[in-house]
Amino acid sequence: MRNGDYFPNRFQAQADVVNLICGAKTQSNPENTVGVLTMAGEGVRVLVTPTSDLGKILACMHGLEIGSEMNLAAGIQVAQLALKHRQNKKQQQRIIVFAGGPVKYDKKVLEMIGRKLKKNSVALDVVNFGEEDKGKAEKLEALVAAVNNNDSSHVVHVPPGPSALSDVLISTPIFTGDGQGGSSFAAAGGVSGFEFGVDPNLDPELALALRVSMEEERAKQEAAAKKAAEEAAKQESGEHSASKDVTISENANTGMTEPENKTKDQMDDENALLRQALAMSMGDSSSAVATRDTEMSEAATDDHDLQLGENLCLLAKFHFLTCVLFSFVFSLSSLTIRSDVVHYPLCLYLCSILLMLLVIFLQYCCFP
Amino acid sequence: MACLHDHSCEEHDCSSDWSLYKHIDLSKVSALNEAVSGSVKSVFRAWEQRLNSSEGHLESNEGDPELIVFIPFTSDVKIKSISVVGGADGTSPAKMRAFINRDGIDFSDAQNMQPVQEWDLVENLQGVLEYQTRYSRFQSVGNITLHFPENFGGETCQIHYIGLKGEATQLKRDVVATIVYEVMPNPSDHKTRAETGGGLSQVE
Repeated sequence: MRNGDYFPNRFQAQADVVNLICGAKTQSNPENTVGVLTMAGEGVRVLVTPTSDLGKILACMHGLEIGSEMNLAAGIQVAQLALKHRQNKKQQQRIIVFAGGPVKYDKKVLEMIGRKLKKNSVALDVVNFGEEDKGKAEKLEALVAAVNNNDSSHVVHVPPGPSALSDVLISTPIFTGDGQGGSSFAAAGGVSGFEFGVDPNLDPELALALRVSMEEERAKQEAAAKKAAEEAAKQESGEHSASKDVTISENANTGMTEPENKTKDQMDDENALLRQALAMSMGDSSSAVATRDTEMSEAATDDHDLQLGENLCLLAKFHFLTCVLFSFVFSLSSLTIRSDVVHYPLCLYLCSILLMLLVIFLQYCCFP
Repeated sequence: MACLHDHSCEEHDCSSDWSLYKHIDLSKVSALNEAVSGSVKSVFRAWEQRLNSSEGHLESNEGDPELIVFIPFTSDVKIKSISVVGGADGTSPAKMRAFINRDGIDFSDAQNMQPVQEWDLVENLQGVLEYQTRYSRFQSVGNITLHFPENFGGETCQIHYIGLKGEATQLKRDVVATIVYEVMPNPSDHKTRAETGGGLSQVE
């Protein structure tokens, strides 16, 4: 699960998708509840019982450790038990399994488990990623085929690749499966229609800077991934343990609709990209593009466009600062207007003018 | 205990006795281990139609003859007897266990719990047999769960008709009928004074 074939590593990719799914399910219907449990490690452990509180679910994903092998059968059974004791009996039961490690049970056992789930009308979604060995895909297909009742259960195989696990899954029936809510989530979701989530019309320099830094980062990543793949091929016995997260979501009585929140993901994407751009520019020793103003004038970068972008960003920041100062001083002066002390606001006004001149002077110092 | 319906039905109208099906909340009827989801609703009909399963019947999954049928009522009822018409060729249920006023019973619960009453059924293709209940225990029934654990050797368990005989009281079990509560705030429900054209708010 530490393997880098899914970016950044399998465990992290899985955690991201879990967060995404929990958000989607809780958003699509306010009466949905989601719970999470892990399959590997000492034994199956329920991290959070089914709840509609997304904060609790996201919090429980912290501090998880990788270790040992995943126990698919036990995990599914405990999940079934947790679902059975749900508070609202009208909710429909569904288990979503993230199978990152190898499956040590044989097909017959899995089919029996599947039939038992079908009998108790529990739907099952399986995400097959990570280790691919000895018929794991067939076993999982057989399991889902045994559970499937009227197309309510799905299995998705995600091979390692450049796109993120969450992007691949967002278009699958696992997100969109229950109809209305899922598809609207996907449409409004992480991709806001613009690359990098920034509108080029509003802020062209920022969009340009982000795009350029993203491309360079991607080129570096591919080179690194190639190297990692070669090394991973050498050590075979290495990884096993997956922590399986079972999310248990349910429908409201007759309505069959399910909805909740997800703005966090969009913000995360933006922040991640900005951080990457910054890290790249910081880490590149030859460029020495620093975010501090005093060093800007001495910077000599290979990438002229990047520097231009940075400069313009800082200029924008300066403008913003001056506007803020100006408005602050003005408001201060207006507050102290009193009829008997006439000259008071006047001198505040003069002070503000002086301040503005000072700042402009500073600007000219830095940008000759 | 089975009673043979040994009089011809011209003398009195049997169908009025078996009219509890009108008090069943059909939208909330559910079954576990049914092959076709939703087919359980077709087994509740009028007495005259009991042999007419043109709209479908309830069948369990292949190779697994267990069935659980959950029947909620729109008001509390008293159940006097139950009639079950099964399928041919050993697909009729052989045993029936009833649980009263319990939500969400699944197979493991049904096997472990003691039922309110249990019957051994016989093949009843003409629908002339009815099974009496211990009436004192079936006095205020808001919902009933019927568990059919076995059949007569067929691959599946088929049920074409379930009839309930008794009286309906007009009481309802839980009267939380018309409360509207918000799970999520909906801005359009909360018009502030500003939006409805109220005056400027003053900050003193």
